[in-house]
Amino acid sequence: MSLTEIPAFARADGPDKVSGLGRYTADLTLTGMAHAAFRYADVPHGRIVELDTSPARAMSGVVAVITDADVPDIYLSAEIADRTLFARDVVRYEGEVVAAVAAVTPEIARAAAAAIVVRYEVLPAVTDIEAALGENSPLVHESWDSYATSGDVVRDRNTAMRSELHRGDADAAMATADVVVSGRYVADASHAVPIEPRAVVAEWQGDHLTVHTSTQVPFDARSRICETLELPTSRVRVIVPHLGGGFGGKCGAHFEPHIAALAKVAKRPVKLVFSRYEEFIAPDRRREGMIVDVATGVKHDGTIVARAAWLGIDNGAYMADATFFPQLAAMHVAGPYRTGSLKIEADLVYTNRQPSGSVRAPTAPQACWAIESHTDEIAVALDMDPIEFRRRNLVATGDVGPMGQVYDEIGALECLELATASAQASADQKPLGPDEALGVSMGWWPTFAVAAGAFAKMHADGTVQLVTGGQECGTGAVMTLRNLAADELGIDPELIELVYQDTAVAPEGPGASGSQTLLNHGRAVEVASQQIAAQLRELAADHLEAAPEDIVLAESKASVAGAPAASVAFTELVERAGAELLGTASVEMPEYPELPTSSTCIGDQGMGAWLAPQFSCHVARVAVDRDTGVVRVSEVHTAHDSGTIINLMGAHGQVEGGVLMGVGQALTEGTRYDDEGRQRNAGLLEYKLQTIADAPSIHTQFVEIATPNAGPRGAKGLAEAPNVATAGAIANALAKVIGQRVRELPMTAERVWRAQTADQSSTTTEQDQS
Amino acid sequence: MNPSSPMSPSSPMSQQINLTVNGMTWPVAVETSRNLCSVLRTEIGLTGTKEGCDDCECGACMVLLDGQPINSCSYLAAQADGREITTVEGLADGDELHPLQRNILSAGGVQCGFCTPGMLMSAYALLDRNPEPSIEEIRIGLSGNLCRCTGYARILTAVHETAVELNGA
Ligand code: FES
Ligand code: FES
Repeated sequence: MSLTEIPAFARADGPDKVSGLGRYTADLTLTGMAHAAFRYADVPHGRIVELDTSPARAMSGVVAVITDADVPDIYLSAEIADRTLFARDVVRYEGEVVAAVAAVTPEIARAAAAAIVVRYEVLPAVTDIEAALGENSPLVHESWDSYATSGDVVRDRNTAMRSELHRGDADAAMATADVVVSGRYVADASHAVPIEPRAVVAEWQGDHLTVHTSTQVPFDARSRICETLELPTSRVRVIVPHLGGGFGGKCGAHFEPHIAALAKVAKRPVKLVFSRYEEFIAPDRRREGMIVDVATGVKHDGTIVARAAWLGIDNGAYMADATFFPQLAAMHVAGPYRTGSLKIEADLVYTNRQPSGSVRAPTAPQACWAIESHTDEIAVALDMDPIEFRRRNLVATGDVGPMGQVYDEIGALECLELATASAQASADQKPLGPDEALGVSMGWWPTFAVAAGAFAKMHADGTVQLVTGGQECGTGAVMTLRNLAADELGIDPELIELVYQDTAVAPEGPGASGSQTLLNHGRAVEVASQQIAAQLRELAADHLEAAPEDIVLAESKASVAGAPAASVAFTELVERAGAELLGTASVEMPEYPELPTSSTCIGDQGMGAWLAPQFSCHVARVAVDRDTGVVRVSEVHTAHDSGTIINLMGAHGQVEGGVLMGVGQALTEGTRYDDEGRQRNAGLLEYKLQTIADAPSIHTQFVEIATPNAGPRGAKGLAEAPNVATAGAIANALAKVIGQRVRELPMTAERVWRAQTADQSSTTTEQDQS
Repeated sequence: MNPSSPMSPSSPMSQQINLTVNGMTWPVAVETSRNLCSVLRTEIGLTGTKEGCDDCECGACMVLLDGQPINSCSYLAAQADGREITTVEGLADGDELHPLQRNILSAGGVQCGFCTPGMLMSAYALLDRNPEPSIEEIRIGLSGNLCRCTGYARILTAVHETAVELNGA
């Protein structure tokens, strides 16, 4: 039986979720539990001249107040150790935590946090990416030079990291172009906005700590707690109840150490639940703002000869996990095209804003929006159909990527053909109106891999427990693991119970990040299940007097191939074995594609070669109200090469959710700041998510290419890829309707209206006269 | 824990009320400023009702008050005194899921599930006042409920299928 034939996909966590009986972190109450509140910096940049917690300590109902003075003297994070758990001396963004309070009610905790006296010497805030790079800019980190770092970082004033990607002589190649098109694109920062605000409940029993938390990365959370509170790994247990979405926003530092430290002092369990406002301003997981300046030289026949670009990426105040952003963004600006010579420079810049971190396909939606807008502008300059221009330049199997990777089987061109044909067929049926157009964008994304493990047990009653370090954040990826095991074992998935989201019982894994669950945990689950299957075959071979390799496992029974009538039930086999059957797997990272040395990259963070790269094409049907600038997306046609699709319903769900997030990013989702660097729209009324009334119809096709180095059954990841191409497709449709380019993301009604009425000057096209 | 806490029942700010939730009446003492969402979740222990924004913007906290959908985060518990409240825990008939619950699951309209309770209550109220809604009417009816995971398509399908199923078509 092929897994894709399973008609409906049953989520093991489904009944919990629809009945309201499943518990999320904020739903937990422990005996004697106190409630936490943070005191935030409030100023984007300032030196602390007074910090007096005594008014809070004096309040009735307050059980603990802690600051930097109450926790070990440790700098984090792993890549650049540029911050402490609680602010020390200087605050660098408005949402930085200065103090934490625990009290008997959330209301008292908040009142006590507000009563803490903090005075600052206000320092000039760094809020502009380009100005931050100037010689005269104030510094976000005065002592940047002294921070510990891991790996190859570039230290220079406000530059947190720099990457350069060079192939050939881009200047010389540019000089041979018939036409050079250049443009600037500026994307605002945005947010992950899971509907569940984060929550943490920490409880000590003696010197053992248990933390219930809404993290996407439980093992990472455990490491962070151990590192900052100086605890041995074996005494810290992280449990994730149901998780109400993450989208990357719940990776990384997540306030578990703060609450654990608070609970230790309070001598009782402590619970933190974020408000929506806090969810916007405090986490180190904002989607980074970005500037893309790009020039591309082409021949009249559409051949790209060179691309040169500079990217400015807003890192915010501290290093979350963004050291790889410059290289990854540079790869995206190179694009999934045969781009000739390349010179792409990317600066990740410290500013006095909330830290940026991996939000669903970090750097890609913005970089892709810029480069796919640019791609259409090149086609216009050449008087060529944008689809035809892409067709001529898209990478195909055997082509070489920006850093020299030779692509195995890939389906970029198939994605383009399928998505554009689907959109055209719909437009043929229902012709485009005068204010409507179709826009096309390509997208691409790597598949990330790490080592992972899994345990499996088959009990005497024939049921199975599958223990995985995988983290379910809603995608259904962990749920899918059950189907892989069921397929290996020949049992109904319903007989398999998943044990997950508990670091005390499961082997370590990367968690719900980087679209890795199926790829990594899936490989481990396959091996653990195969071990049990092998034991079942041995036992059955003995019983049925056949060779183990002739034993077929199906419907919880073993039989000899070709003789299904004489079978033996798994329950009987386990009983014969005298003990439950165990599988334990630990699988290594698959091999990454080799990189020849034909290109160079400064600031290499391992993003140059992509394991099982995923490609996509999105085509948006867009209508514009010319009077108001309001854009409406009625249809999005997508085609995705994400390898074999194992859970078809889940796959469609990922694409549909990713597309709608892309529509939001294209049109409404952008963080606005005041002059001092405070967020002005840190609420759902002002930071507008798409509603069901805005949602386009989404038509998805999967290009299932047999990629040699993909995961289980040839699957790649799929959680991030659908979030990459949508904004570019909408931008290109919009430009066709209004005849102008909107160069800022999100392309809000106001920006569209202004673009319609203003002269455009930031694209230039030079025709070579010689 | 702390006798002078304003949360304690003896506080002059608190009030004794009766909430009828999913058919069962609960006498509770609540501070007059407490919202219904928080009282349902903490005093009554029904945590199916979620809080996503505390500001009337996401719909995760939606419950029915005398059959009408309200955002319980922005509704004072005291105002619900003596009235009938239905939460997501009250949708199923014993172990039998309501068709909306069954269909939202089978259609693939549940991912992280955090919006699901509010979405279900909103859909329930919609079908109650309009048993045969058009697709457009479903879109309008559910536009106060944000979902970040699904792109809404499968939620729309589930509500439509349920309307058809309940009308015996
Ligand atoms: S929690 Fe009530 S509307 Fe968001
Ligand atoms: S399923 Fe996650 S918010 Fe709707």
